Amino acid sequence: MSQETAPPDVIIDLIKVSKVYPPDVHAISDISLTVNRGEIVFLTGMSGAGKTTLLRLISRMEKPTKGMVDVAGFDIAKLPQRNIHLLRRKIGMAYQDFKLLPNRTVADNIAIAMEVVYRPKSFIEKRTRELLDQLDLVRKYATRAEELSRGEQQRVSIARAVANSPEIVLADEPTGNLDAETTDRVVNLFHQLHRQGTTILIATHDKSLYQQTNHRVIELRFGRIRAPHAESFEQNDEEKPTFPALASAPEA
Amino acid sequence: MRFLAVVLRHTCRNLLFTWKSQIMTLFTVSLSVLIFSFFYLIYSNALHISDDLDDDLRLIVYLDEEPGLALKEEYQRKILKFDQVDRIEFISSQQAFKRFEQQLGDNRDVLSGVPADFLPSSIEVYPVRSLDSLSRIKRFSDYLSTLPGVLKVQYGKEWIERFYAFVQLMRVVVILSGTLLIMTTTFMVAHTIRLTLLARQQELELLRLVGATNNYIRMPFLLEGAFLGFLGASCGIAALLLLFNWIKLQFAGPTTLTLLPFTFFSWPIILSIIGIATLLCAAGSFSTTRRILQL
Repeated sequence: MSQETAPPDVIIDLIKVSKVYPPDVHAISDISLTVNRGEIVFLTGMSGAGKTTLLRLISRMEKPTKGMVDVAGFDIAKLPQRNIHLLRRKIGMAYQDFKLLPNRTVADNIAIAMEVVYRPKSFIEKRTRELLDQLDLVRKYATRAEELSRGEQQRVSIARAVANSPEIVLADEPTGNLDAETTDRVVNLFHQLHRQGTTILIATHDKSLYQQTNHRVIELRFGRIRAPHAESFEQNDEEKPTFPALASAPEA
Repeated sequence: MRFLAVVLRHTCRNLLFTWKSQIMTLFTVSLSVLIFSFFYLIYSNALHISDDLDDDLRLIVYLDEEPGLALKEEYQRKILKFDQVDRIEFISSQQAFKRFEQQLGDNRDVLSGVPADFLPSSIEVYPVRSLDSLSRIKRFSDYLSTLPGVLKVQYGKEWIERFYAFVQLMRVVVILSGTLLIMTTTFMVAHTIRLTLLARQQELELLRLVGATNNYIRMPFLLEGAFLGFLGASCGIAALLLLFNWIKLQFAGPTTLTLLPFTFFSWPIILSIIGIATLLCAAGSFSTTRRILQL
């Protein structure tokens, strides 16, 4: 249940968190990390560095082996199974493997996130079209997910993650299969959410996303935090830079 | 309201998704209900007949000679001291003769020349309705035969014994077919739901990830189980009704069957059978959903 363990402006708080998979794979070790409400944080590092595990811990797809994970007021380790939905409704996650339903249409795949919170049908349809328009996928509205390219599937997964305007967006390699133009569209969508106050964690290899940005970049190496590249989240709004990839993109 | 609409939509989708196994399950549930209710129908009618028999049940105590006033009083005292006796009636030889004459009707001539006291006098003992157990009737009959001047005690022993044995047998058959009903409905439905769950595992995992509640995930499967139970039981009862009417039609003539008061289930019993089957199927679905989804 709700645990008031972190200060109100802190939305994600990890204290000395470790995750060990059997038999003895240390995915992350002793990680402490605090993310404030409305912040954008990039998680970088080589494959196997622990980026995905970290996101999975935050979304309670995994429980920590050691340490405390507090997300939006919920202590992950103590959160009972029957209440996981309360946490998940605050989080939108774009998965690396997309997690789309192959035999359902693009619209169905996006709508599923809104159906579980009982949004009206008209709202679901409007919001789905709006997101598909932003991600240049309107023409694929009624296409089955299995007929899409990987890049298109990735965008559908992102659209589903942000459909409910969640408090936290977790994106695992969100631009891994995208060209420069579509990457811009995705980044633009994230930027729009950021301006609305959404906290965004992006696990990525794509340097173009975080180079020259003053948002916090955290590099993971062998399951540990190496060193922060920048700590500018305390700057005021005028000084806060946008994504470099957005330099030429219109403000949404 | 919106929850209900979403759940119903998911239920319909589940039913369409695995329609082949749904039909198999429906057939099995129908057959189980048909078998159970068939035997239950026979049993309940047998009970009804046995009730009627109880109404007519009496023990006839034949005496070796016409009892005097003192002896009558003694018989009355000794028999009526039992709580299970409703009333007794003394039948003299003459009264027995008259009755016999009436029973013979137009053939009473055969009795011409026969002395009016050729039949023994008797006492008719009417037990209370609670004396329904054959063994108790037997014990009571044994007691009556020990009374002085009693020739023999009669109560349609063979017929009643056979009939009660039949009722006992039907009780066992009903219990067995009831067990069969419970097993097939719960196991078959559990198996079908399991197939649906496995076929939709990917979607169910996603539903959890996007914040669906346990009820949101579980309810469509519960409804699916309940629906299979309801429809299966209704089909089973409908099939039994058709069979019942067919048999009645076949034996419409003056046969033993038409003499017996054989009736179909009343509405409360029909609704109870359908309700129980529905609940059983929902329970089967609930346990599978709980086990596989670990909710």
